[in-house]
Amino acid sequence: MNYADYAIVFVFMALMFYVGSRLYRWIGSSDDYYLAGRQLTPFVLAAVIAATNVNLYSFIGQAGIAYKTGIPIIWQTWTGNMAMVFAGLFVIPIFRRLRIRTIPEFLELRYSKSVRTFVAVLWILRLSFWLGVVLYTAVIAAQPITGLESFTGWILIFSVVVIVYTVLGGMWSVALTDVIQFVLMLAGALLVLPLAMYQVGWWPGLESSLPEGALTLVQQEGTYNWKFILAIFLLGIEWSCVDQGLLQRAFGAENTRSVARGLVMAAVITTPFALLWNLPGLAARVLYPDLANADMAIPTLIASLVPNIALGLVVVGLLSSQLSTISGNLNGVATIFTSDIYENVINRNASQKEVVRVARIVTFAIGVFMIVFAYLVPLMGGAVNAYLTIIAIMDMPLFIIAVVYGLLWKRANWQGAIGGYLAGSTVGAIGQFYYRLDFNVTTFITASVALILTPVISLLTRDEQSNHIDLIWKAKRTSDEEVAGNSSYNILPKTITGRFGLGILAFGFGIFLTGVLLGSAGSPIASMVAVGGMIVYFAGGLMRAFKD
Amino acid sequence: MFDWITWSIWLVGFIILVVWIVVPYREFKKILRKHRSEGRGDNP
Repeated sequence: MNYADYAIVFVFMALMFYVGSRLYRWIGSSDDYYLAGRQLTPFVLAAVIAATNVNLYSFIGQAGIAYKTGIPIIWQTWTGNMAMVFAGLFVIPIFRRLRIRTIPEFLELRYSKSVRTFVAVLWILRLSFWLGVVLYTAVIAAQPITGLESFTGWILIFSVVVIVYTVLGGMWSVALTDVIQFVLMLAGALLVLPLAMYQVGWWPGLESSLPEGALTLVQQEGTYNWKFILAIFLLGIEWSCVDQGLLQRAFGAENTRSVARGLVMAAVITTPFALLWNLPGLAARVLYPDLANADMAIPTLIASLVPNIALGLVVVGLLSSQLSTISGNLNGVATIFTSDIYENVINRNASQKEVVRVARIVTFAIGVFMIVFAYLVPLMGGAVNAYLTIIAIMDMPLFIIAVVYGLLWKRANWQGAIGGYLAGSTVGAIGQFYYRLDFNVTTFITASVALILTPVISLLTRDEQSNHIDLIWKAKRTSDEEVAGNSSYNILPKTITGRFGLGILAFGFGIFLTGVLLGSAGSPIASMVAVGGMIVYFAGGLMRAFKD
Repeated sequence: MFDWITWSIWLVGFIILVVWIVVPYREFKKILRKHRSEGRGDNP
């Protein structure tokens, strides 16, 4: 990087600081701080969600795996997007109707206060650690691209500005800066793609230079084969239904209909975007086949191919992807602490002013924890392993108790929820850390244990139903607020076009599934069928969200 | 030979970029106008 590049990066950071901190004046209530006053429109929501979901894990971790093993890793993003369409159309609108801020808050409505507090404490730790992983990845990527090697220096660059503007402006700052950052990271990726493809002789050159099968999307064998696609799709469903970072943005939507539209659009725009980091990852395989660390594929490619000034813009794009993820999750942790612990346990009569003040202090404190955790990540075997470990152990049991039993089975009680969650996580942790199981196996085990023990414990204990259970079941239907505000959203569509959209969605999913299963037999048309099914699925999702 | 695959992907990305500059800009302006008309802006 030269002085012009540094100047571009400096101007970007100053702009983020200015824009983010100016929104300090927009914070009048805790809902403003946590949820941007529940005023986010579909396009803004889509950009905010896409910006949060795309981070350096995508540009570095996923592109690194594409470098090593080929294109199939892209399904991690694509199936995550398909899952987000499912959650956006069928699950999150129910949560939005309940006007909750966090999943632990839902757990109190559904089960009891103890479940809420228990899960809130665990999730504060989980999200703080995840923030450390995000920060660590950012530093590891920035070092080779810029040539500045100081670990601590980069930690401070990445964290100080984002902590300050998130502390001051809360979700309003997160939303506005996320939209700007989404545009910048997309622009950066659009700069890199043609440069990388030109170097390898465009598509024909890439195809002929890569090892056989590297461009086969649905593979019969290998680590990222057809079974991986099914497994990661299930994990995507779990993630999109309970991830606080994602849900909190969705809860910031102006109404239930905007939740569905924003999530479907976020999924649709992130799908082609995924090619913008995976194809350069594959190009790096052709250009630099002997890299010792595959995670260095994109940083090496950027440092070697992108000319100055454009390099500054690309670095800004990468910084954007990271800052948006950090700011959103910082706000998420602060929301869980303040809403589920401070307001719920420590000070139930807190005024709005006190709540916002505590939320700001907690945001700052979590920012400090994030920095500490970033130093611990290398001890866990790197960013990807750390991330997968967290998902396998903590997210799956929460999905089982909150969504599977929380929304579908009235008899599940708080004893079953706590028992199922605790047993699932504990068995997962033992499998992961003691028996060193693969994360796919750990995920399956944690899910199975929670799935079996939650109903068993519930049936062995008293049938105590939450007072709010009818409220939750009622939230599956259109609310009076939606009817009054002319923004009705029906989980099951009522118009012919809406039903037709739903039919296309289901049909597309069927084709996708057929494609993946054809991959198990090594069919040459498997990839085409699966991708075709995914596109039909997204078309159905868009029609369903916009035409009812 | 023109690389249709790469440039099609690039074009889709570019269209998303333009749409997501124009529409959120308009929507944020609307939100800003609403905030101003409500006379908000004071901190608690």
